[in-house]
Amino acid sequence: MPTATLTTGLSGGQVGRSLPRLEAREKVTGRAEYTHNLRLPGMLYGKVFRSTVGHGRIKSIDTGAAKAVPGVYQVVTAQDVIKVIPHPYYGPAFHDQPILAIGKVHYVGEPVAVVLAEDPHVAEAAAALIVAEYEELPAVYDEVEAAQNRILVHDELKPAGTFADLKHLKGAKGTNIALDYQLRKGDVDKAFSEAAHVFEHEFRTQKVLHLAFEPFVSIADYKSNRLTLYTASQGPSFVRIEIARLLGWPENRVRIKVPFLGGGYGGKLYIKLEAMVTALSMIAKRPVKVSLPMEEVFYTISRHPMTFRIKSGVDRDGRITARRCEVFWNGGAYADIGPRVAQKSGFTASGPYDIENVSIDSYALYTNQPPAGALRGFGVPQLVWAYESHTDMMARALKMDPLEFRRRNIMREGGKHTTGTPLKDAPVEKVLEHVAARMNWSKPLDRGNGVIRRGRGLAIAIKAVISPTTSVAIVNVNADGSTTLYCGTIDMGQGSDTAMAQMVGEILNVPAESVNVVPRDTDVTPYDMGTLGSRSLFHMGHAVKLAAEEARDKIAALARDLGLPEGTNYSIADLFQKKYGMQAGNIVGTGIFKPDYVPPQPGTGLTPKVTPFWMVSGVGAEVEVDTETGHVRITRLLNVCEIGKPINPKICESQISGAATMQLGFTMFEKMHFDGGQVTNASLADYKIPGIHDLPVTFENETIDAYQSNGPFGGKGVGEVATFCVSPAIGNAIDDAIGVRLTELPLNPEAVLRALRAKQNRPIEDA
Amino acid sequence: MTSRRTISFTLNGEQVSAQISAHHSLLEVVRDDFNLYGARESCGQGLCGCCTLIVDGRAVSGCLYLAAFADGAVVETIEHLDRDNLLDPVQEAFIEEGAFQCGFCTPGFVLMVKQLLDEHPDPDDDRIRDYLSGNLCRCAAYPEIIQAVKSAARKRQPGKTA
Amino acid sequence: MTPFELAEPATVEDALRLLDPQDSSVRPLGGGTALMLMMKAGVFRPTRLVSLRKIAALSRIIATPDGGLVIGALTPLGDVERSAEVARRAGVIVRTMRRLSNVRVRNVATIGGCLAHGDPHMDLPPVLMALDAEIRVAGRAGERALKVENLYAGYYETALNRDEIITELHIPSQGARSAAYLKCTTGSADDWPALGVAVSFEADGNAIRAPRVVVSAATEKATRLKGAEATLSGAAVDDALLARAGDAAAAEAETISDVRGSAPYKRELVRVYVRRAVRQAFDGELKGAAH
Repeated sequence: MPTATLTTGLSGGQVGRSLPRLEAREKVTGRAEYTHNLRLPGMLYGKVFRSTVGHGRIKSIDTGAAKAVPGVYQVVTAQDVIKVIPHPYYGPAFHDQPILAIGKVHYVGEPVAVVLAEDPHVAEAAAALIVAEYEELPAVYDEVEAAQNRILVHDELKPAGTFADLKHLKGAKGTNIALDYQLRKGDVDKAFSEAAHVFEHEFRTQKVLHLAFEPFVSIADYKSNRLTLYTASQGPSFVRIEIARLLGWPENRVRIKVPFLGGGYGGKLYIKLEAMVTALSMIAKRPVKVSLPMEEVFYTISRHPMTFRIKSGVDRDGRITARRCEVFWNGGAYADIGPRVAQKSGFTASGPYDIENVSIDSYALYTNQPPAGALRGFGVPQLVWAYESHTDMMARALKMDPLEFRRRNIMREGGKHTTGTPLKDAPVEKVLEHVAARMNWSKPLDRGNGVIRRGRGLAIAIKAVISPTTSVAIVNVNADGSTTLYCGTIDMGQGSDTAMAQMVGEILNVPAESVNVVPRDTDVTPYDMGTLGSRSLFHMGHAVKLAAEEARDKIAALARDLGLPEGTNYSIADLFQKKYGMQAGNIVGTGIFKPDYVPPQPGTGLTPKVTPFWMVSGVGAEVEVDTETGHVRITRLLNVCEIGKPINPKICESQISGAATMQLGFTMFEKMHFDGGQVTNASLADYKIPGIHDLPVTFENETIDAYQSNGPFGGKGVGEVATFCVSPAIGNAIDDAIGVRLTELPLNPEAVLRALRAKQNRPIEDA
Repeated sequence: MTSRRTISFTLNGEQVSAQISAHHSLLEVVRDDFNLYGARESCGQGLCGCCTLIVDGRAVSGCLYLAAFADGAVVETIEHLDRDNLLDPVQEAFIEEGAFQCGFCTPGFVLMVKQLLDEHPDPDDDRIRDYLSGNLCRCAAYPEIIQAVKSAARKRQPGKTA
Repeated sequence: MTPFELAEPATVEDALRLLDPQDSSVRPLGGGTALMLMMKAGVFRPTRLVSLRKIAALSRIIATPDGGLVIGALTPLGDVERSAEVARRAGVIVRTMRRLSNVRVRNVATIGGCLAHGDPHMDLPPVLMALDAEIRVAGRAGERALKVENLYAGYYETALNRDEIITELHIPSQGARSAAYLKCTTGSADDWPALGVAVSFEADGNAIRAPRVVVSAATEKATRLKGAEATLSGAAVDDALLARAGDAAAAEAETISDVRGSAPYKRELVRVYVRRAVRQAFDGELKGAAH
């Protein structure tokens, strides 16, 4: 029986436990709920018909043959959508994405029509019979080319106002630039002219994607005055707000229900299929499910390819005195959250380096590729690929040890970040030294002299958590003393339900396993900005802690009201019994958390409060390169992350190794291939992700001893931090092994061998 | 030679039958007709293992297995493992080692690990990796999964050293 | 997938009657894994599939008195992998199977289905070519024999007629020959190969006799490289010989560009992997390992 002790200061003993995830039994027995499994009575399946053209005016859509297939309920195009949702454009930054293409298509794979049928096979067969004709228009696929604004993706940009930090965006014409973030500190031109050395490099990253194993899936059940959406989403509150806006309804008539997600990694954010199924259900007057096959996931959302032109001035002592960063983000045909990537990650583009003169221009660009959005790391892994490769290139040119060069230039705890925000609980130096020590960096490495050459590399990076964002939590203590937690954080495998339960248990002195974390339902669970960007442990954790504390305080107050002396052990059930004469009633505690934030000054991009916490990580890598084939074997990958005090150490460790493995795939072989605008490898057969044989031979994932001073129980986020440094650490190790510098990802064997053979003056013929 | 037919088979120990068309996969039948959702279609190409089903004692990719082929067969799903409300040692090991995150691929892994240990009770690292190379995990819980295999092997053979 | 007829004949004769030489939408079905992939991708829309699964005689493994093997076309790959006779008489097949596709595919895919599919990325065809294997093909005109090395006409193209069925695979006795298969992947470790190299030869002291060198995956079909074989034949094994054989192979193989590598890069892979495969087969032989 849960008890309350009416003295403060007793620890519940839940935080810091490596207990198994609360839902472990359901997951290993195959009984966990996913939207993927859900069927509703009377439900129709929707099969999407998609554009085969990268940019074009729609001349006609012939649905006749499709409609004639027996079992087809209806074939829907934009004309039908506009009748139920007059202005059917959505998006977190711009209201630019139509539910179904209107007048024009902007990328290959854009939804143009939907076939509805009770049998998904029938819907699929019918969709194959739709014929659309397009007047093809010039298309632009490359981000640097798009920035020149010669070929325009959209005739007019349509800003939204949903997030506070994007409100300043003004609608514009004649441009593909959705956001131009600028940071100006000091005078870079003057510093370059005075520098002893100036280095200028360009780096690129490729288009990759999340590939959560539960593909995108949403079900809408529209009634004339209520809409319920069952959807695999990381952000049900945003979905509710956006769908309510599209319908012109108050929020409280739209209900979003989210069970477990079969993976998310940032892909299941904002609006994906939710608006589409809403419109379809309104039109069909029946529940409608759209569940994408893996191929169509490639046409839905992916990561921003990036070109980063970086220029640094270095003085005689090896101190970086100036840095100019020009970053071009390939956002694809619809902005999604790209502008936030350009801004929020843009301001970290100069890296964890203490540089007096910095200029950053970070451009979110429209192109005719499929849309790009948030993916674990939110642009930072791409930036770090560039600046940590650049760091090593400078060190080698200056004949300095890459570690020593970093030591000379990194930001230090207590100093200021480039934005002007103080660096608190951002132990860059400590992480770097930990990596160096564990890699035995000071000891020489035998690089070999045969076919196999060895090398090692390291990298260090920093990210700021998104701000400002709001989280609300409710803790309910029931009449028998059992506890229920209502919070909107989505558990997609990162163990958030378990961590939040641990925090409730810590405050209320109950085992975490006894806390019921209610399935997400916006009729029940309160507002949360979204499960993204490593924000939940900190922000929702604070809200949960506050809610539990309020509940605890109310329990104590009730005990005092009932005249019970301090320091006595009473069961909570007894308190309720005394108060209400029977097992009845609740005690409810609410917590709301929003951190302080000062927006960056337009023009300078500077602010004293850009983020409530920093994420710092470093990686050391050892590789073996087969100099005859270009194959790279990762013999050792060491991840060192600073995550404050882990709430659940075992889950944190698996988050670190999981994130690093995902980034390993992005580093070594993942790539979406295109023929013009058409993705040519839209399947797991041809787009390879890491399997069990791809793990590094020695794979170490560690955290350093730390405490986030403003974090709940000293903790902060861990979901992304291990992604930042994997790519450049490996690129640096390859350079160390064979003296070859690759500036584009992925680092596949052909790229490595071509670079090596070019250096040896016996190049491989062009492809 | 008609397209629509009735198949009869043993499903998780019970005799059942289902009305199917030739183009239905066994995975669809298990999910849509029998409401067993532990096996899921993800890659649709038999590469990820989320759709793993056991047919006549051998693991198959349910998304590529014609339902018609299950006629007269013995079919088992993940749900069969805890039929007595007791977890299989492999499932216990997965929980103890935290060998999953989002859980979508987990039933497939559990069934494959069970088959692995049935065929090779004391597998070395190479055998474990080779056998599980056809099961993918996007959350990349591979290190924990490898530990869970070793732990399950020990549980299944008490008294033997790992 | 679109609906189709599924026929399940009990004999080869019945199966042959159901096939139509003119109709490419009627196909025989083994385990179905490869055809299911094509149907789900929409690149193959059958009107009728003729399943051979109920023809019991087609699933068997026989060790023949002359030291060879006869494997029925409907034998699942997994059965071949687990067969002690196959391990003894053609161990390279068992070693190859361990990394061939995955366990679930091997439990269902059949020898005949694998051979008839014509996918140049598959591991088994080049290995069987290196072993000088032969298939038996049943058609309405009767039965014929066809060497596996003559089975492939082009990219996903076999020398089979639409109304023919593979019934058996015959692997001759390998005697004192040694063999190796190397697979090179350039994506994830378990990707389809960018290149497969299978070699087989008799080692006579330090010299190589009667070599067979086959490349696959990097070329439009699995191909014997007779130039490389000529370089190796009768020669003493040393690094210089292996380098010459690799160069000959690289000059001879017509590599193609795809998502796994460009043609020029694959040519370099051929150069390296032919050399390494011969070395592996030779060293395996020296260590007393079976073929």
